[in-house]
Amino acid sequence: MKPPKDFDRPRFLKAFTALFFVFLFAPIVLVVLFSFNSSKSLQNFDGFSLRWYEQFFGSESLRDSLAASVQIALVTMVVATIIGTLLAYGLVRSRTRWSGGLNVLMLVPLVTPEIVAGVSALLVFTQVGLQLSLTTIILGHITFSISYVTVVVRARLAALGLDVEEAAMDLGATRLDTFRLITLPAVWPAILASGLLVFALSFDDFVMSFFTTGESPQPLPVRIWSAIRFGVTPTINAIGTFMLAVSVLTIGLAIALPRLLGRRESGVGVLFGREAA
Amino acid sequence: MSQGRFAAGFLVPGALWLVLLFAVPLGIVLAISFGTTDDLGNTLYGWYPENYEQVFDPVFLPVLARSVGFALATVALCLLIGYPVAYYIAIFGGRWKHVLVAMVVLPFFVNYLVRTYAWIAMLGDEGVVNGALGADIKFINTPWAVIGGLVYGYLVFMILPLYAALDRMDPALIEAGKDLYGSPWHTFRNVTLPHTIQGVLAGTVLVFLPAVGDFVAAQLLGGPDSYMVGNLIQQQFFAAENWPFGAALTTVLMAFLFVWMVLYLRSAAREATAE
Repeated sequence: MKPPKDFDRPRFLKAFTALFFVFLFAPIVLVVLFSFNSSKSLQNFDGFSLRWYEQFFGSESLRDSLAASVQIALVTMVVATIIGTLLAYGLVRSRTRWSGGLNVLMLVPLVTPEIVAGVSALLVFTQVGLQLSLTTIILGHITFSISYVTVVVRARLAALGLDVEEAAMDLGATRLDTFRLITLPAVWPAILASGLLVFALSFDDFVMSFFTTGESPQPLPVRIWSAIRFGVTPTINAIGTFMLAVSVLTIGLAIALPRLLGRRESGVGVLFGREAA
Repeated sequence: MSQGRFAAGFLVPGALWLVLLFAVPLGIVLAISFGTTDDLGNTLYGWYPENYEQVFDPVFLPVLARSVGFALATVALCLLIGYPVAYYIAIFGGRWKHVLVAMVVLPFFVNYLVRTYAWIAMLGDEGVVNGALGADIKFINTPWAVIGGLVYGYLVFMILPLYAALDRMDPALIEAGKDLYGSPWHTFRNVTLPHTIQGVLAGTVLVFLPAVGDFVAAQLLGGPDSYMVGNLIQQQFFAAENWPFGAALTTVLMAFLFVWMVLYLRSAAREATAE
């Protein structure tokens, strides 16, 4: 039987979705395009040039900020991925009387407005007398990143089921060996993908960085914030485009990863599948 | 040692981290919200409920109301824009589904500040659109610019759960609705919407929560007339140096959002057990 006509040809929906994508990408295309503009104008494209990138990479303080951002994102990625993965394993494979509460505590950071998390981080660091620096930014970033890792890895662990692990232990493997040799490799794509996601989130983060940053070096988004408030300059387009490239490469890698590792599952499914929603 | 005891050990680092760096700090915010400042602006603990009276002072109350209004308008617009898009991708995306979802997510990874700033470059008084039209239309520094910026910033949080819900739904249900001579509107209202209501609720909360606490959009696209509670909080910590009042504002914001968070977490937990 043929489906009814208007179900067949969703012309309106198609046009609407196309228009949506135009609006979604127009400002971004603009930023990328004008980052290569040879003049200072933000209205007319006067020819290709790399002068705004030269200004970005030529500035020692901006280079320091870039290095700071990368350092923050790398440390955050490693620590949050380890802690988040362990937490995921614990939540899926154990039933303690704390598990229910811990599960909620793990989910709350995901729905807490960034400004609340930023204010609490600032207050706790100043109360314990910790000097605001890259370290405080990293501590703040790890705090909001752990939950992302846990949610993504937990979904994979739950899908894995117990039988493989039980089979390994029946064959004489110790619990630690089973975790190391069976469980970890099975969820490896989810661990790496969530780690890359955390890198991108940390590299891009503004609010937590803004509340926990010291004087210098400040991470790139904090520098962008100060710059925007002084007015519109094309160097921001260059920084924004560069950060976009880093994020797209990171997320692209996360999405391609399962395939690269020879798995059948899709990276989009691992990261943004219904388990993560 | 049982499997469960072995696995329970894995909980320790994460539990400690989240308690010490997330739960305890929220407690400190609460404690400082009842504090005061000395003449040098240092924060002192104490019992000063006046901070909360100040939050609900007629000077600041409109800011709170505006934040909620802006966030609700943002949710409504995100639903209006996001539902058709998610519907099209989920039902008609075919083999392009994953590509289209990735395209929806991609702009989210452009720095939020840069994305907001891009709208100034587009629609500002000296922007591309006014330049191209040779006009002098005032887009920026209006409340609508702030709402537009929030929609652009958080739309992805609406589309993803909607997409997940629609993708899970069997399209045959829609066809069945039409076979039974339901009009498109009736089919949508009686079949599609009830089947995706979880996605609608999840998207609503996921957009509302960050939107109501945002201070970037109002600062860059609005101006003092459109300031939201986030701007007020930010000012207390970086300009006014009145940390206890800032902490009280943060506590009120968190308390107000608590209901939304509980609703969302309960439905998320129910969904997790349903699978």
